[in-house]
Amino acid sequence: METVLSIQKLTKNFGKLCAVNHLDLEVLRGQVFGLLGPNGSGKTTTLGMLMGVVNLTSGSFSWFGETATHHTRKKIGAVLEHPIFYPYLSGQKNLELNAMIKGADPKNIAKVLDTVELTARKDDKYRTYSLGMKQRLAIASALVSDPIILILDEPTNGLDPMGIAEIREIIKKIAAEGKTIILASHLLDEVQKVCTHFAVLKRGTLMHVGPVDDVGKGEEIVEVHAYHDDLGVLLQEFVGSASIKRESGLYQVMMKDGFHSKDLNHFLFDKGIVASHLATRKKSLEKQFLEILSDTSHKS
Amino acid sequence: MLHLLKIDLKKLTSYLTFWVICGLYFLTLGFTTASGMEILKWLASKGAEFGASININRIPLYHFPDIWQNLIWISGLFKIVLAVMVVISITNEYQYRTLRQNIIDGLSRGEFLKSKILTNVLLSLMSVAMILSIALITGSIYTPEVEWDFFFLGSEFFFAYFLEVFAFLSYALMLGVLVQRSGLTIVLLMLSNMIEAIIKLNIFRSGGEEQIGWLKQFFPLESITNLVPLPFARYAFQEIQDCVTFSAIAIAIIWAILFNYFSYLKLKKSDI
Repeated sequence: METVLSIQKLTKNFGKLCAVNHLDLEVLRGQVFGLLGPNGSGKTTTLGMLMGVVNLTSGSFSWFGETATHHTRKKIGAVLEHPIFYPYLSGQKNLELNAMIKGADPKNIAKVLDTVELTARKDDKYRTYSLGMKQRLAIASALVSDPIILILDEPTNGLDPMGIAEIREIIKKIAAEGKTIILASHLLDEVQKVCTHFAVLKRGTLMHVGPVDDVGKGEEIVEVHAYHDDLGVLLQEFVGSASIKRESGLYQVMMKDGFHSKDLNHFLFDKGIVASHLATRKKSLEKQFLEILSDTSHKS
Repeated sequence: MLHLLKIDLKKLTSYLTFWVICGLYFLTLGFTTASGMEILKWLASKGAEFGASININRIPLYHFPDIWQNLIWISGLFKIVLAVMVVISITNEYQYRTLRQNIIDGLSRGEFLKSKILTNVLLSLMSVAMILSIALITGSIYTPEVEWDFFFLGSEFFFAYFLEVFAFLSYALMLGVLVQRSGLTIVLLMLSNMIEAIIKLNIFRSGGEEQIGWLKQFFPLESITNLVPLPFARYAFQEIQDCVTFSAIAIAIIWAILFNYFSYLKLKKSDI
């Protein structure tokens, strides 16, 4: 697949503080790439360097295989941190200005306003918009030049659950059109729902990079419940169980390699017990994320 | 080039403050420069109360070619209003962080600055056009015998006026880029002349006036005021400098370039 973004040894120091440390990363066309990390881990600084607002200390990066200039930025739609617009201009005028800077066709404006469902409020001043509308206008402005790649930094920050769901739907819709998306977030659930690949940053250092589908591969956890007094003891007799935990009335059995829920079900049935609840749980991204962060803090 | 100017004008033309400030500027500029005779009449009536008689018809305030320097010197006093507008325009970009978004959207830092400089050029040219038309109208009314070469005798002053406004707006833009806060920048802008005067006073007070007094003309704000010398002393039978000197033009051009270059350097190396 074609490489959209390639980063080599990207470094940024703010005085003594190293915000981004020798970062190497590749993003391929069509990926929805999640950039994860706790607050202050260097996500926004990294994106700031990629978008030319933060000067690099050392290292390099290239967009679409060419050295980055302000012309390459015109092919990228990006919103970093908060939505930024002229408060005294209407949504429509703000987008016209974005289109002028990007050299985009002004005819796109109506279309992108439609995508983010702001057409009805387009002539109102930006300062009268709610936070959700501001975020949506930001996505519209990123889309106005019909970019090859979209960069969104915490696009659901500060939104209510409905607003979050709306933005998520918009992102999915855009991804379905085959656009490459880089999504920085600390909402792991968010990333797991929309991303195909993810990377984890911690204090400016890359901790992990890989496909989201790989999360939860390997160990399998089976949740089980049955009306039996000694279920906990019984489960320990099962040859496939590595460990057992009790959580909110359910037993969570961590399976050994090669054992699956059906083996556990079989085992219980042989003992004359019928499970009232049996479910396979994949490890969540959140769990993996916390593991990645804590693993490395042990090592370091 | 034109594209960059259009981008900056797009930001300004929907901004109410811009229209109010520019409207006030051109109105006061127009009315003040056009009502010199009224002011003279008022002066004469005041003078008459004290027993001094001034024959205002003998003061050729609006006669070609005096009119060029007279009107342009007065107009120069108003440039601070435009400069405040320039400060608001640039500090807004920092306050709203739209400078950052402009760069993200694909302007280079140089292009961003160019768009602001081009607006400064436009505002300076508009000031020149305004004064040129007022001078032509009032001059034709008041000059007893209009001769065509009078029109060209003062053309150097229009270039000097353009430079005076443009250099000052460049200075305001630079202050805005360096300070980034509107209130503080406007206060600094207002006090600039005074601060420069205090610095000059301290340098030259030790009686070195004769040896190093010539250095004064190289001070940034002094170089801007030096472009068009005060003309009115000539009506009190004093010698005045009634032309624009080449050295004054050269020094002011260098400062205008430096102001914009400093803005560029600051923009270039800061994280925004």
